[in-house]
Amino acid sequence: MAGAGATTTQRCHPALATTYDGDDPRLLDRLAPLVDFLEITPDAIATSDAQCAHLRAAVLSEYAAVRSNVGFIAHGVGLSIGSFDRWEESYLYLLDELFGRLPLAWHSEHLACTTVAGENVGTMFALPRTEEALDLVCERVRILQERYRTPFMLEHVIQLLPDAPSEFTPAGFLNAITSRTGCGLLVDAYNLECDAHNQGLAIRSFLEELDFAPVLELHLAGGTCYNGFRLDIHSGLIDASTLVLGMEILRRAPNLRAVTFELLKEAIPLLGHDSICAELLRLRSAIQSALQ
Amino acid sequence: MIGLETYQRGLLDLLKERGPAPADPYLRRVADSRELAMLRDIAMWWRVFQLEAQCRLTARLLRRMGCFDESALSYFNGNNTSPFVEELSRDFLRYLFNHPDPLVRSTSHFEYALSQVLGSSAESFEILWDRNPDSVFLSLDRGTELPPAEVEYAYLMLVSRSIPDRISCTRRPAEID
Repeated sequence: MAGAGATTTQRCHPALATTYDGDDPRLLDRLAPLVDFLEITPDAIATSDAQCAHLRAAVLSEYAAVRSNVGFIAHGVGLSIGSFDRWEESYLYLLDELFGRLPLAWHSEHLACTTVAGENVGTMFALPRTEEALDLVCERVRILQERYRTPFMLEHVIQLLPDAPSEFTPAGFLNAITSRTGCGLLVDAYNLECDAHNQGLAIRSFLEELDFAPVLELHLAGGTCYNGFRLDIHSGLIDASTLVLGMEILRRAPNLRAVTFELLKEAIPLLGHDSICAELLRLRSAIQSALQ
Repeated sequence: MIGLETYQRGLLDLLKERGPAPADPYLRRVADSRELAMLRDIAMWWRVFQLEAQCRLTARLLRRMGCFDESALSYFNGNNTSPFVEELSRDFLRYLFNHPDPLVRSTSHFEYALSQVLGSSAESFEILWDRNPDSVFLSLDRGTELPPAEVEYAYLMLVSRSIPDRISCTRRPAEID
């Protein structure tokens, strides 16, 4: 089974990252000494004037103020790489702008569709795991790789709706994308738990089948349950079960570059700066313990 | 195997509760699922959250009138909504310019005008109110009863960056039809 075993040789610890989308300089001052990377969502720091989106200058200045202390990675939401007709070119303009302002170590997107025939969905649709979707995504990954010449990763999203008829297993579809394009994979431990809860995903089988060599980033987050569903809302601290799963993924992924604590900007006032910082310290410690 | 276009167009129609019942067996299964209801709720939560934060007066007024969720849902399902919060809010306020209630029309127009002027628009906006807007804002802020429409007077508000404080308002006798 490709890449399924834990590495036994000495390896570098992956970096620690967290989401920061601006407007809270006091939090940024506290985050900068704790993390190696800040993960930026270009869509979340953008504003739109007269149908033209651009990054907010004030937020870019915040990043510039800490660039000697931390690195930056981009994690997009609105590219819609899986739309049947076209992706969102406006997202690429934002990404161009971000690349022009900050040294991005890599960038990533969700393996999903947020726009259908030019109409914003308001949420994300997972893609059907078919040859047609695979061909479309791989061609677009190739274009991104040529355009930016910086490592690109795709993240699997939760499948809330009933699973569509498929030609691939969940892990098999990801393996096909990474092997065909050479792109990286961003694995989200909490998303896997959501799929296990909502769709009955067998996480164990998923992990056994997944090729871990391309797994370059790990997302950890906390969410909430509502009406019997587990939702990927990124509003809380990391559950113990998510951390355990995350550390297993970390041990299996020999090329992992970063572990990212994902947090919704709107959740920051609810959690408070102290608990966010404490969570990062806990995560750093867990990474060190997992690789000893 | 369902085609990608059929799948995505079908899911969007189901999400936005429009179009005929789907013919595709998978989409029919989705249409009857509790998962679809959950996805609709999630999509609406985001919009409601954003609109309440950006269109505070109008959202409060609609909540007071018991029609905020209905208005947001109707707007979301009937329009191609922007992923950018400023555009979403602006378009929602514009959508309410044709609302049957005159107070909703005036309040949404005022909030739209203010956002434009504070956003450095050179345009000037005239908004007609059927009651004292100060009393309306106070009521929305404090959660007290809304003032009734005035029979004898109307209030003409000007919102423009070319006047001191950006806003002026004059009371005048109401025009009798």
